[in-house]
Amino acid sequence: MKSTKPYIPAILHFIRTNIARRGNPLGLTNQDCASWATDLQIPTEADTILYTGCEYQMTSYIQPLRSILKRVKFRDTLFSAFGHIQELTKAVDVDLTKVYTQLATRQGESYNRLLRMAALTLRRLNVNFAYLDDEPYTGALLYEYGLFEEFHKQAQHVADQFTRAGVRRIITLTPHSAEILQKVYPSFLADFDFEVTTYVSTVADALRESERELSLSEPLSVTLHDPCHLVRSLGVTEEPREVLQAIRNLNLKEVASNRQSTVCCGAPCELICPELAELVACKRVTELSETGAEAVITLCPFCHANLTSGVSLTGKQLRIIDFIEIVYQALERENARR
Amino acid sequence: MPDAKLLFEKYYDELLQSAQDSNISLAISKAATIWREKKANVLQRFPDTADLAKEVRRLKEDCIDKLDELVNQASETLKGNGAQVYLAESADDALAIVGRIIGAGKTVLAAKTITGEEIGLRHHVESLGNEFWETDVGEFIQQLRKEKPMHYGLPSVHVTKEEVARLLTDFFGREIFPEVPSQVRAIREFLRSKYSKADIGISGCNVLAADTGSVFLIENEGNIRMLTNMPPVHIILVGIEKVVPTLHDALRVAEVAWRYAGFTVPSYVSMVSAPSSTADVEFNSVRGVSGPMELHVIFLDGGRSTLAKNPTQKEALYCIKCGNCLFECPVFQLAAGYYGGRGHFGGIGAIWVAYVTGSLEEAVPIAYTCLRCGRCTEVCPVSIDIGRLISELRHTIVATAESIPPSTP
Repeated sequence: MKSTKPYIPAILHFIRTNIARRGNPLGLTNQDCASWATDLQIPTEADTILYTGCEYQMTSYIQPLRSILKRVKFRDTLFSAFGHIQELTKAVDVDLTKVYTQLATRQGESYNRLLRMAALTLRRLNVNFAYLDDEPYTGALLYEYGLFEEFHKQAQHVADQFTRAGVRRIITLTPHSAEILQKVYPSFLADFDFEVTTYVSTVADALRESERELSLSEPLSVTLHDPCHLVRSLGVTEEPREVLQAIRNLNLKEVASNRQSTVCCGAPCELICPELAELVACKRVTELSETGAEAVITLCPFCHANLTSGVSLTGKQLRIIDFIEIVYQALERENARR
Repeated sequence: MPDAKLLFEKYYDELLQSAQDSNISLAISKAATIWREKKANVLQRFPDTADLAKEVRRLKEDCIDKLDELVNQASETLKGNGAQVYLAESADDALAIVGRIIGAGKTVLAAKTITGEEIGLRHHVESLGNEFWETDVGEFIQQLRKEKPMHYGLPSVHVTKEEVARLLTDFFGREIFPEVPSQVRAIREFLRSKYSKADIGISGCNVLAADTGSVFLIENEGNIRMLTNMPPVHIILVGIEKVVPTLHDALRVAEVAWRYAGFTVPSYVSMVSAPSSTADVEFNSVRGVSGPMELHVIFLDGGRSTLAKNPTQKEALYCIKCGNCLFECPVFQLAAGYYGGRGHFGGIGAIWVAYVTGSLEEAVPIAYTCLRCGRCTEVCPVSIDIGRLISELRHTIVATAESIPPSTP
């Protein structure tokens, strides 16, 4: 191997700077991440926590960041010179800060809504949990991009915080967080000893034990987009199907490439090459729409966001609905009937 | 530094351009569908294939751990068989050896070879003043298009018959219609006129048995049989990771490779172990009867032995180049051969570019385009964990970049 200096994609510096400053790859504050829980009176201390990994919260910011990345030529130069989004946007002619904030706020509301639905669903299913309103970020992006030293530090920080908070069991809301905690931390930390489960498995378990009936007010045909990390790394394939099939008025139509054969939504390269992420999303959306289903159920915020952009780019008549939302609605109807 | 950055941007420009070309994605998705059906049929007909693939995985693990020993054994065997054997440390060394064997003013025919693509064989041989023809139909089309191959098995997968018609009409100076059988006939006539006149045939190697020195060449077209037999000189380019201990091992690797490429059995499997010879008249041994009188075997290291010592990344050397990972890769499905570099495609191509065919800096954009979705590993017969290799490679990239101080202007 020749020992010339390799070029590092500038987004890596951006993420690293933000983690160092605020503990979050996109520079979100604890307040940004925890605002969804404000009026829910979720305890902040318990054995079991619901862990969002700040991913739904970040999704709102990733979309506008992507549109900026696509607009700004020579983005790499900008990224290396300006670590933070505010600084970045100051450097270009258009008032990107405004665009970014507006878009992020609008999208933030819809993702915050999903977070609230997840907490309310667990509550309705009698799952006891707390939420750390200063919950740390897993460091998933640091790991993803090869920033192992920073990732190791972040992992230690997360483990310490869990220990201090007396956490023993973690319900992870997203596949990436689940994978990082279950599969990756143990290889970086000698003594990472917490019980980690996923939101979807928790819901499936709780429903199995409860008498609750799930139903939708109107018939809906859906297909399921399995997230790569959930099925391949964690082997969670049947739980979401079990829950969906228990919903009356919901008709599950499997896409040909399902379970372990699922196809990526394209999100993993969205900050490196957003145009490519969109093309991959369009292809997956086309496959999913060939099932004839009216909607796609997703289990990961990044899949949700990227497939949503795939739908708008392809113009397919397809709704992208988060698993959290469909389950919440199906439970809501039961409540209304009571 | 600016060079590395330019490399990065140029790569993405090309990648996006090809990803936006719907001809490529349509062709790949058509090919992938046919491929999946063929492979499913083969696996159904030979239900032992998955177990055989597991054996091959274990075999490759052993072989890569004793690579030097195997290569020495293979080269001693081949010398004993009467072949001329060379060990090329780098691509440049390999080209220099090829250049010395061929010289100038010759007609050279080549089989589709990933190793040849890796070292830039065609360009070099032509630059020495030789006539050079690719003899695989897909590769021949790519040669006329002045374009790199798009897939190990199907180099011109993205080219439509209408485009082939225009290309061949220009080349032959007579009208060739967008009708595949007549296109193949035209290529067949042209190539057949070259085989008997050619001075040199160059092939790659699918797998090599160290105990007998036998090189396996798997094909359907018959071009390899022609070019390894008709010209008086046969040159074989072998990436050293292709060596396995025994003839029986080699057959297992070959079987797994062609079955996972979707063939119950290929039309031809050639086993070349020595130059052509006869001792029919009073036991006088004479080289070169109906086959070549000279057999040259060039073992190419080019970074492979270093890679073999890397505890994580050595897994990339287990690859048998069946191409399954490519057809299932979401990025490859859009960009085909533009995703990867120097003959090695897809996510695993990043490892090859970093350690074997290129440099770490050249591998950066490929490494960061991989989605790490893991689809490739699901379909890899030897279960290479490409996502993990990419993760480690990214870490090496970051660590290397930061260990080198910025150059002062």
